[in-house]
Amino acid sequence: MINHFVPKTLKEALDILSEHDCYIFAGGTDLMVQKHKSSGLLPAFDKDILYVMNLKELDYIKVDSQNNLHIGGISRFCELINSPLVPDIFKTVFLEIASPNIRNTATLVGNIANASPAGDSIVPLNLFNASVVLQSKRGTRTVLVQDFIQGVKKIDREKDELITEVIVPPADLKFYYKKVGSRKAETITKVSLMGGYKVEGGKVKDLRICFGSISTKVVKNHWIEEKYTGISTNELRARIDDIINEYDHEIRPITDQRSTKEYRTVVAKNLLRDFLRQVK
Amino acid sequence: MKISFTINNNKVTLDVDPSMRLLDVIRNELHLTGTKEGCGEGECGACTVLVKGEPVNSCLTPIINVADRDVMTIEGLRETKEYRIIADAFADRGGSQCGFCTPGMILVTYALLKKNPHPSEEEIRFALSGNLCRCTGYQAIIDAVKVASEKGIKL
Ligand code: FES
Ligand code: FES
Repeated sequence: MINHFVPKTLKEALDILSEHDCYIFAGGTDLMVQKHKSSGLLPAFDKDILYVMNLKELDYIKVDSQNNLHIGGISRFCELINSPLVPDIFKTVFLEIASPNIRNTATLVGNIANASPAGDSIVPLNLFNASVVLQSKRGTRTVLVQDFIQGVKKIDREKDELITEVIVPPADLKFYYKKVGSRKAETITKVSLMGGYKVEGGKVKDLRICFGSISTKVVKNHWIEEKYTGISTNELRARIDDIINEYDHEIRPITDQRSTKEYRTVVAKNLLRDFLRQVK
Repeated sequence: MKISFTINNNKVTLDVDPSMRLLDVIRNELHLTGTKEGCGEGECGACTVLVKGEPVNSCLTPIINVADRDVMTIEGLRETKEYRIIADAFADRGGSQCGFCTPGMILVTYALLKKNPHPSEEEIRFALSGNLCRCTGYQAIIDAVKVASEKGIKL
């Protein structure tokens, strides 16, 4: 027998987590598929479940005095899409995730915790250097999303911790985003690229590049970005091939039922070229 | 666990496993069989119901997540005048053939027109993008939504 916990307050939830190893159940759009057996049967959960959708304390979207966006742990994609506080580039990405019905139940934090290499929402979060806040009875810590996700389905979370918030710092950038999939709706990404840049006085002041679905996690290489920041846009364009080559060792896609590693590699590089040509 | 919610304007309290799919509760406990199961994994939208007026897939929703909330299925919508207008439009344009996808299509249409009484073709396609149909080829459904919108559902 497993226990089902439906806490009403965050404190209650953290107390439970300090004593029980639980699945944390938010919208359920991933877990209900993973644990589904067959029609009419209960989903096959093998340990206790903590349901979080009734934690009203985690239901908010707000901006602080430093313009950081704070997204509460149970915020659903539909709420983020409708919020005037959420940057448009996030909405562009979210509107291409799954289908409207799923966006009405699925949460951003659920998508992060699921740590799929094809998780589309992780791409802009990395580009913005967003963090997750984890709380437990022992205390609170904040971790960059980029470090929080360690690999396929691997996250930096202790059993007693709950992700209570996502913090997105402001970014004054121009953006580029392309997601390559098989169709428009309900499509799981084969390759995606998001770029962000800022040009001032003909010089590249800020350059950020994130690839989705081409490795075990979203690729964002700070070292390469820094190396090409500060140069003129003309020089950047002259060095597009060098930049693409820098990513040779980072672009490590797999072949699966959706695509091949060869295709993904070529498309990833083409997207990067397309983006870099637009930096002016 | 005792869980209370509203189904088609009636309050019910059931003693069920909190992880039970809303779809199974609706079909097997409440015996409302208008809600269909196609894929059972969130792809087809045949199991669509409205929770607080928003379309969701009942195959992915555990019953605990609708506790104290309003759920509407096609049987509930049927009691409204808006249903007549939408259903007539579907009949008129051949938007329903085998009918398996139709309850979901109609609920999504209702939710769309309620928010946006005069959607563009693109907005209609976008709203229905999570609902699959094996029969009509979709154009007849899009046309039906346009007809319903022209008939001006005063919602
Ligand atoms: S049965 Fe729920 S989406 Fe197909
Ligand atoms: S009418 Fe048959 S599936 Fe749509």
